[in-house]
Amino acid sequence: MKIHRIFAMTLRYLFAFRHNLDRITDAFYWPTVDLVLWGLTSVYLTSSLSRTSQGVAVVVSGIVLWVVVWRGQAEVAVNVLEEFWDWNLINLFVSPLKFSEWIASFLLIGAIKAAVSFSFAMGVAYMLYDVRVFDVGAYLIPMGILLIMTGWWFGFLVAGLILRYGKKVQSFAWTLIFAIAPFSAVFYPLSVLPWWAQKISIFVPTSYIFEGMRTLISGGTLNFSTFALSFFLNIVYLCLALIFLYKSFEKIMDKGLGKGRG
Amino acid sequence: MEPVLQIENLEKSYKNVHAVRGISFSLREGEILGMLGPNGAGKTTTIQMCIGVLTPTSGEIRYFGKSLFDHREEILEKINFSSTYTHLPWNLTVKENLTYISYLYAIKNRKERIAKIVKIFRLEPLLKQKVDELSAGQLTRVNLAKAFINFPRVLLLDEPTASLDPEAAKYIREFLLHERQNFQVSIILTSHNMAEVEEVCDRVIFIDKGEIIADDTPENLAKTIEVSHVELLITDGLKRAVEYCREENISHRVEGRYMWADVKELMIPNFLRGLMDKGVFYSEISIDKPTLEDYFLQVAVKKQ
Repeated sequence: MKIHRIFAMTLRYLFAFRHNLDRITDAFYWPTVDLVLWGLTSVYLTSSLSRTSQGVAVVVSGIVLWVVVWRGQAEVAVNVLEEFWDWNLINLFVSPLKFSEWIASFLLIGAIKAAVSFSFAMGVAYMLYDVRVFDVGAYLIPMGILLIMTGWWFGFLVAGLILRYGKKVQSFAWTLIFAIAPFSAVFYPLSVLPWWAQKISIFVPTSYIFEGMRTLISGGTLNFSTFALSFFLNIVYLCLALIFLYKSFEKIMDKGLGKGRG
Repeated sequence: MEPVLQIENLEKSYKNVHAVRGISFSLREGEILGMLGPNGAGKTTTIQMCIGVLTPTSGEIRYFGKSLFDHREEILEKINFSSTYTHLPWNLTVKENLTYISYLYAIKNRKERIAKIVKIFRLEPLLKQKVDELSAGQLTRVNLAKAFINFPRVLLLDEPTASLDPEAAKYIREFLLHERQNFQVSIILTSHNMAEVEEVCDRVIFIDKGEIIADDTPENLAKTIEVSHVELLITDGLKRAVEYCREENISHRVEGRYMWADVKELMIPNFLRGLMDKGVFYSEISIDKPTLEDYFLQVAVKKQ
């Protein structure tokens, strides 16, 4: 892999971000809307039900951490989709760019944008609700890494589907990730899920992170074996998603990356 | 000397459709090769395989003596491609497009190279414009700038002057010839402008139904057409001239006092003598030799 080509592709996606209001909206507007809407809802419910103020912290922290997963996957999926919309795949792969370098640029841009959106959401959560997500301290680092890993593999899965089936599945880029949100138990403890959903959540790496976050907020301590399990699942899914994406890429190489004419 | 590009038995099939059937040809250093053929003949499929964005069903593609499949990265650094029918990211400016592409190729003295290429393709006023704000002709020039950015030794150009006005198209043709002359750049070019192909190409391969049916110079291909076009301004005996053409089964057309007749080159003296014998007088005569376009039309008619 050559660094200059990974940098070139990262630059290409940063340029697109700068000019695209949709992408700026995704990065800042929606996290803010979620925080205001669900944060205020949880403030109201907490006060009316006379429960502890931890309810607000749980919901707001859930929203802030979910931003990492969401941005990580959207950057991969939407950038692949954009190459389709632009008919640009042929220009990319007539250059010496390797498939692995293209993927590496997605990882990089996904991590950069997830970090930006996460920092922004953390600031908003602190200003609006005095919820200090950074209070969990060093735990934030493994949590952030594991969440972005989930975003990446899910993004590769969606990107593979887009490469195989084209624009008819383009809405997956924004929507499919929410299929794992209920099993991740972003806003509630795993124990409130029905038994069958709890069984599924065992295989969802993000469920360990959000459950861990709630443990920390309620003053408990984390067992690192939960992180290890999340990491193991993420690695397995990442490998499978990359194989799927590569096979999808080979499939479109068989049909041709260019507009079919002649 | 070893060719810069060698294609051997290249095939591409989609399920039951054979888009390209065992094509073989080569490209020499500094040569400009025209690739012609009717729509759907397999030109674009062949070009896409040659630039590595379409996997062939079978066959071999070798650049500089090395297999494209085994030395993809090394080869793609030395070649480039431009097509009127591919796009660049629409929401990036021209400058941003050239910048990220220059990083892809690790261009040395990147800023100077971009400045030079911008000047060559007259892109200075467009640098800050987004691609979706450009006209078709402007986009073609940006695509060409992108194709030349890495000092390519081999260029594959799919209809490079389509969408350009005649002055800009002439400028680009002259630039291609200049690059060939000064840097020995080898070029494969597809075009539907036969005059352009005759002007710039040293050799032409003609593809039809996925096969090469002719491989020769533009002049030699045109020579395979025996019929010339004879144009006469007839001052007296127009009816007799028409009658004579009908008798001799000569394809012809009349507009006012002008008559056009398609006559085999060797039979032109006989044709003119026949008219004279019929008492036909003319004040102007012009004989157009067969062109590459006539060859193209003949193949297209046969196809239909």
